[in-house]
Amino acid sequence: MEAFLAGMAILADPFALFMIVAGTVIGITVGALPGISGSTTIALMLPITLGLDPVVSLAFLGSIYCAANFGGSITAILVNAPGDPSASATALEGYKMAERGEAGMALGMSAVASAIGGIFSVVVMIVAAPLLSRAAYSFGPPEYLALALFGLSMCAAVGGDSAVKNLIAATFGVLLATVGIDLTTGVERYTFGFYDLTDGVSFVAALIGLFAVGEMLDQATQQMGKPTLLKMDAVRVPGRAEFRKCNRSIWLGSVIGTFIGILPALGATAAALIGYNETRRWSKHKHEFGHGSIEGVAGPEAANNAAVGGGMVPTLALGIPGSATTAIILAGLIVQGVRPGPHLFNEQPRLLYAVFASMLAANILYLVIGLGAAKLFARISLIPAALLWPAVFVLSVIGAYGANQSMGDVWLMMAFGILGFAFRRTGFSPAPLIMGLVLGSMVEESLKQSILIFGDDVVGGFIGRPIALVLFAITALGLLVPPVLRATARLRQPQAREV
Amino acid sequence: MQEGNQVCRPAEARGAAAWHRRSVLLGAAGFGLLGAPSILRAQAAFGSRPIEVVTHAGVGGGTDITARMTAVDAAAALGTEIVVVNKTGGSGAAALAYAAQRPKDGHTVLLLTQTHLLTMLRSRTGTQMEDLVAIARATEDPQVVMVRADSPLRSADELASIGKERSLRFGITHVGSVDHVATVGFAKAAGIRPPTAVPFRGGGDIVVNLVGGNIDVGLLNFAEGEAQLRAGEVRPLMVLSRERMTSLPEAPTARELRIDFVSATTRGYAVMKGVPEDRIARLEEGMLKGLRGPTFSNYLKTSGQALDSVAGRAEWQAQLEAFSNEGRQALADLGVAR
Amino acid sequence: MSVAAHLGRDRRVALAVAGIAGLAFALTFTFDSVPAALMEGLGAAEFPRLICAILLLLAVVLFVSSPAEEAALPPVHRCTWWTLAACLGFFPVLGLIGMLPAMVLFPIVVGRLWGERRPAVLLLSAALVTLVIWLLFVRIFRFTLPGGLLGDALFG
Repeated sequence: MEAFLAGMAILADPFALFMIVAGTVIGITVGALPGISGSTTIALMLPITLGLDPVVSLAFLGSIYCAANFGGSITAILVNAPGDPSASATALEGYKMAERGEAGMALGMSAVASAIGGIFSVVVMIVAAPLLSRAAYSFGPPEYLALALFGLSMCAAVGGDSAVKNLIAATFGVLLATVGIDLTTGVERYTFGFYDLTDGVSFVAALIGLFAVGEMLDQATQQMGKPTLLKMDAVRVPGRAEFRKCNRSIWLGSVIGTFIGILPALGATAAALIGYNETRRWSKHKHEFGHGSIEGVAGPEAANNAAVGGGMVPTLALGIPGSATTAIILAGLIVQGVRPGPHLFNEQPRLLYAVFASMLAANILYLVIGLGAAKLFARISLIPAALLWPAVFVLSVIGAYGANQSMGDVWLMMAFGILGFAFRRTGFSPAPLIMGLVLGSMVEESLKQSILIFGDDVVGGFIGRPIALVLFAITALGLLVPPVLRATARLRQPQAREV
Repeated sequence: MQEGNQVCRPAEARGAAAWHRRSVLLGAAGFGLLGAPSILRAQAAFGSRPIEVVTHAGVGGGTDITARMTAVDAAAALGTEIVVVNKTGGSGAAALAYAAQRPKDGHTVLLLTQTHLLTMLRSRTGTQMEDLVAIARATEDPQVVMVRADSPLRSADELASIGKERSLRFGITHVGSVDHVATVGFAKAAGIRPPTAVPFRGGGDIVVNLVGGNIDVGLLNFAEGEAQLRAGEVRPLMVLSRERMTSLPEAPTARELRIDFVSATTRGYAVMKGVPEDRIARLEEGMLKGLRGPTFSNYLKTSGQALDSVAGRAEWQAQLEAFSNEGRQALADLGVAR
Repeated sequence: MSVAAHLGRDRRVALAVAGIAGLAFALTFTFDSVPAALMEGLGAAEFPRLICAILLLLAVVLFVSSPAEEAALPPVHRCTWWTLAACLGFFPVLGLIGMLPAMVLFPIVVGRLWGERRPAVLLLSAALVTLVIWLLFVRIFRFTLPGGLLGDALFG
């Protein structure tokens, strides 16, 4: 308790508080801009923070980390250009809302859901990190295989015209995920000799292309002299009714996001996508999904921000970073003389509580900024299309270029833009494609790793993994139960009428 | 609403135009000020531009952090800014290609690892070892042979005896990578059966799977397994350095156990051949000052690396050439050389 | 063309998907072989082949399940073609004059195309966007943007 109060005291220090506010504002900005991620920013800031007090510098980096994840949703909602891959699920529903003239509603919900998810995960981190971090050890390749298949199992239901089309898009995504050097054999696949493809298809370029450039080409169809309609509702922010509706999605997203975040091999993007799937699965308003569902914004936003606190669990308790961002924060910790590991929680509680306090503060701050600025940001959706979309293209170019500073990625973005446009015309949705792309390499890699680990007896090997078996069973149930229920309902109904 | 909007347009447009004319003038003046000096100094004087440190690693890895930690004090010593440029892709091929096309005026420095050497050996085209000039070595992080705390491989002898019965599962990062070459070399030196190499995305994944019992052995840097070593979940069997590590004083070296094998994750700076000699000397001096400065020294200490990791041009050049020769042999053994 | 014209939208899509799957399947035979010393578990080509087979199967399902007679796709609007051309044209222009100048040009050209007639508004918004990008990405985040032939000639 003493340590807790000592840690919280950081919030009373004006300089530390100033750094937290600065970190939050910087985080929101870079998160919103495609091409600069939280990790790039933190890497850039790391040397600067070395001169500061360890607690203050960690508070600064931690608040950038928290806020950047929220920032990604702003551009995703307003111009369909996810500032960060983890906001792609938000773009699916949030942009549809903005198109309908509900940008402020989507932005406000994103801020609230993000903050709840973020705070939930930070609380979990501080209460149970050493315990939960053990989960990371229980997850080997077989478990990740089962989890990735679980994530993919819902893709038939998400997105476009028909289940077949969704499956085609998802399978195509998995095929795209095989591009690059194969992890387990070192063989180059589908790279056609381009360096930019050896590490696989760049997520950022693919997402920006599919969403923003595809949307621009689609918008062009409606342009040419056509006046743009002003969206009068754009600045309305969500009220009590909306929050009541999204309550369940937010909590579901928070729990899923925290759990996925704890697993070092999966990050905020996977958390958001799985959060999106599950939000839809448990929603009472399934029909709204794909047409601008506010629950579809709340669930994934809660999940990707919950993955932030979740991601800190293995970083602090095991010294194992799950993402580029936590890797840099870990380096910052180590250089400052902090030794991550299970003992950290007993040895340096003051520092730990300070990180905790600053992350909490950052979550509350971006909630305030996000809600306060939602009306302002929402006005961006009122900019005439002829000015807005060309600017979005320019931003997309720099965004695709920025991730690896390569022109190859800009070409890739353009190719995905054309694909995105073709998708819109033919009744496909980018959602399943992205799920395939994000989870596909994990399916292949963990399958191959499992085969190597199990050696000759692969089936026996899987049988010996209870967690994997349970996940496989849940996946199977999720796939089989709804159709069976529907079938029995159909059987029962005519009988009831006869009687 | 739409009509209202139309009506107010002209006034708006006029205002905007007037404002715009001013901004164009300002902008032109601004660009003129910025542009002119650069045009005049087409062959940039040393230190007139930021120095780019090109790394093949993505943001956040050990290599990237090495670059950023060096930059803090080196920038002051060289009197110019240092920018880290991450050119990922092709296991260093993209970074090498980028460096090759930049002007050879000393403003582009490569952060070289063994990965680049293996990539060069495998490609046969593009930049080769002969096209590079060493500047300074930054880190030499010995690899440690680690097993799970309750592993049946309690000692080097047991590793040898069990390893002769069945092929052990070693965690590596990527096929044909430095780890992989080291794993194969170690198995050969230790006289055990060729191991099953299970590739993972990074050192963190290897540690997790080592503790989780999915693999038998991991060749890891001290820092990668530090938390688990301290928690007693992972044990070091031996270190693959010439002398015992100060951070792991009890762990014997492989050589003490009569396994003649040494392996370390080594990183250092280099430039393309063609940079004027005086600039190479300036760079060496500046980089060494950066590497021996408080920030980088502290980084070495806190990540369990020896301060003598930092070395000058001559030593680093010799080491690079030795690596290149060993790597050629190792890749031929693996059957991945072209 | 005449055959394609008789097919509905989804059937044409199915054919395209099948074509992609077939091509990707064929390409797996061009992968480098894995050295025998490393060959353990699954190779490099098996998984992509499995995925291609699934894709092919799904294409067949789509073809069979879609109605034969379907409303034709609405033609792509002229403005979309022009916008696409502007996007593709962006690349050679960038190679010539550099990324930032190309970024000024693009919104002007496309904005005009999309019906914004006031040159001042176009110029101002293009300049503003580029200025913000320059400030953030070049000044603060230190990106090295491609300078194009012009930039290389001027700045070496």
